[in-house]
Amino acid sequence: MKQKNSLPAIFLTPAMMILAVLALVPTVYAIYISLQNRELSRPDGDFVGLANYIDLFSDRRFINAIGVSLTWEAVTVGMTLIVAVGLGILLFECASPRMRNILALLFLMPVILPRVSAAFVWKFAFHPLYGIATYPYKAITGQPLDLLSNPATALATVALVDVWQWGLFFSVIVLKLLQTLPPQPFEAARLDHARTWETYTHIAIPMLKAPLISLAFVKMIESLRAFDLIYVMTRGGPGITTETLDMYAFSQGFIESGRISYASSMAVLMMIATSIVFTFIWKRVQ
Amino acid sequence: MRKARTLVSSIAFACLLSSTVSTIALAAECTDTIKVLAQPRDGLTLLEDYKAEFEKLSGGASFEIDYLNENDRRAKTKADASTIGKYNVYYIDEANVALFASAGWVAPLMDYYPADYDYADFDPGRQKVATYDGKVWFAPITGGGDLMVYRKDLLEAAGIAPPKTLDEYIAAVKKLNQPDQGIYGTALRGQRGSGANVWRWMPFFKGFGGNWFDGKTPVFDSEQAVKATETYLELFKYSAPGSQTGGWDEAVGAFTSGQVAMLIESTPLVGMAIDPKSSKVAGKVGYLPPPAPLTGGGYGHGLAIGAKANKDEISKACAGLFIAWATSKENESRRLEANQFSELNRTSIMTSKKFAELYGPDLGQALADTGKVTAVNFWQNPQWPDLGDRWGIILEELITGTRTDIKDGLDELNGFAKDLVARSQ
Repeated sequence: MKQKNSLPAIFLTPAMMILAVLALVPTVYAIYISLQNRELSRPDGDFVGLANYIDLFSDRRFINAIGVSLTWEAVTVGMTLIVAVGLGILLFECASPRMRNILALLFLMPVILPRVSAAFVWKFAFHPLYGIATYPYKAITGQPLDLLSNPATALATVALVDVWQWGLFFSVIVLKLLQTLPPQPFEAARLDHARTWETYTHIAIPMLKAPLISLAFVKMIESLRAFDLIYVMTRGGPGITTETLDMYAFSQGFIESGRISYASSMAVLMMIATSIVFTFIWKRVQ
Repeated sequence: MRKARTLVSSIAFACLLSSTVSTIALAAECTDTIKVLAQPRDGLTLLEDYKAEFEKLSGGASFEIDYLNENDRRAKTKADASTIGKYNVYYIDEANVALFASAGWVAPLMDYYPADYDYADFDPGRQKVATYDGKVWFAPITGGGDLMVYRKDLLEAAGIAPPKTLDEYIAAVKKLNQPDQGIYGTALRGQRGSGANVWRWMPFFKGFGGNWFDGKTPVFDSEQAVKATETYLELFKYSAPGSQTGGWDEAVGAFTSGQVAMLIESTPLVGMAIDPKSSKVAGKVGYLPPPAPLTGGGYGHGLAIGAKANKDEISKACAGLFIAWATSKENESRRLEANQFSELNRTSIMTSKKFAELYGPDLGQALADTGKVTAVNFWQNPQWPDLGDRWGIILEELITGTRTDIKDGLDELNGFAKDLVARSQ
């Protein structure tokens, strides 16, 4: 009996040890150097306590980056789920099984494309002079359309690419989820003369609440790692209008200043904030 | 006299023998693969065709080059050099040579550069930007100054003579700007970065008499800086779409695709603009030095010996041999043969008969003329990338309209510079 009880521990220990090394060591080191004033060009540093953290709150770029990151999360997660549910229902309602399979294959392609490649493709597509996506506007109005240089549209344009990749992918998942639902509630609703949209809003989507929440969580985590997409398409510009927290931390650490302690303090704050927010949302959902 | 001649020839022979012996001794120990972190350059790609030649020269060593675009290369070299030091050779440039040298991330080049490869043959301007604190740190792979490049056909059609002064230039840009016909007056760089928008802004700043520092006191909020920024923003009204957040690629792309009348850019643009393979406007291009009072932005990129990856003297000497070979006269001749104008750095090549045959006397004259106004516009200090990049962000905000107060932006930069100076002390 004793042997039986220790088996999970035996199997878990190596994995937990690897996880501890991979996750804990960098985390502890990040906290350690965030309390110093180290720069890349200086191998040594002094302990400065919480000075880096205090400085952050008078740094306009950091404050701006918090706003941009929150907007990015809200827009990309929200739009991805709307597109996924909308397209998934459309495929379920309108497409034949054969057509569904063909479209599902096509919808999977954007997410398979490496993010950096997707970013370059769309960056060229949005070019105001020779971009294919802006060409119709230019042809109709005679004016170039520079979406990525316009502070009002840059973040939304990059978000569009993110939604293109993940919204289409999630729509395939939603389609497959709809196919797994039992047909009886839908038949009963039809007998009661329910409209199509009522069937979905009152029956299908509530039945899919749990998997949809899981998809939302996956997308929330994925959106936090959108550095590559934004970096290639706008580099945080115009100005700092698309500069997210991870991008600003990277800029401070490696592109501009080499202030790795300052950058680490941002990373630590991000880690704490995301842990708290995700735990809170998870508890609320449960 | 005869004795003296014998003595001289004996010394010369001894020198030759010792350099040959040292090369042979070095060759016997260079066997590892030399790892290079660079940004894409045709000249470096061409080198890869001659790997066997280097293997033979070094006694068995090969090389591998990893490429990243300019901004990413700068970030990666900085990260690598300050941490693990995986690369034996770094591609560095005028903007970060001071940082790399003062941090001890690269070794003094001339300590390991074989004398028979004739470093003194490099263009003096490029030697100047490769030198920091009295020592040479890289061998140039590209460099130069600025040229005003213009469409002869458009200027002739509009009855405009090629501008010689900035006022004439601005007037010509305004007149030539015809967006409804798909032609824009100019193309500038708006993308943030000390090597991007700030690089193109600096000739205005220095041309108007601006200075970065007065002693240790930052003086960016000067009238000259305000005037330079106002002029730059004024010209942006006539700059091709996409350039507001674009860099060199966008500006050059707009010109070579035939959508820009004139621009002031780094000299490699000419090579691309007159090459029918990369330019729709080849045969219609004229070039002159930048209009007065603008200074040319003197720059140079090159290969330097990584200090961390090359732990011992032999490794450093191997890296030095690779750099010398990669930037040798033989390899520059190959680049000339391959029509890689922007990759030519040696005086002997740029004054050669072959160069004149390929590019004509006008370009040689324009390069000579622009050399007279080429200057080091940036602050030659290890903290320049930090300061320049910060100004780059503020400038991009001004260009794209997310902030409008120039003086406020310069004051913010001034405050940042004071913190920067305080941090370094």
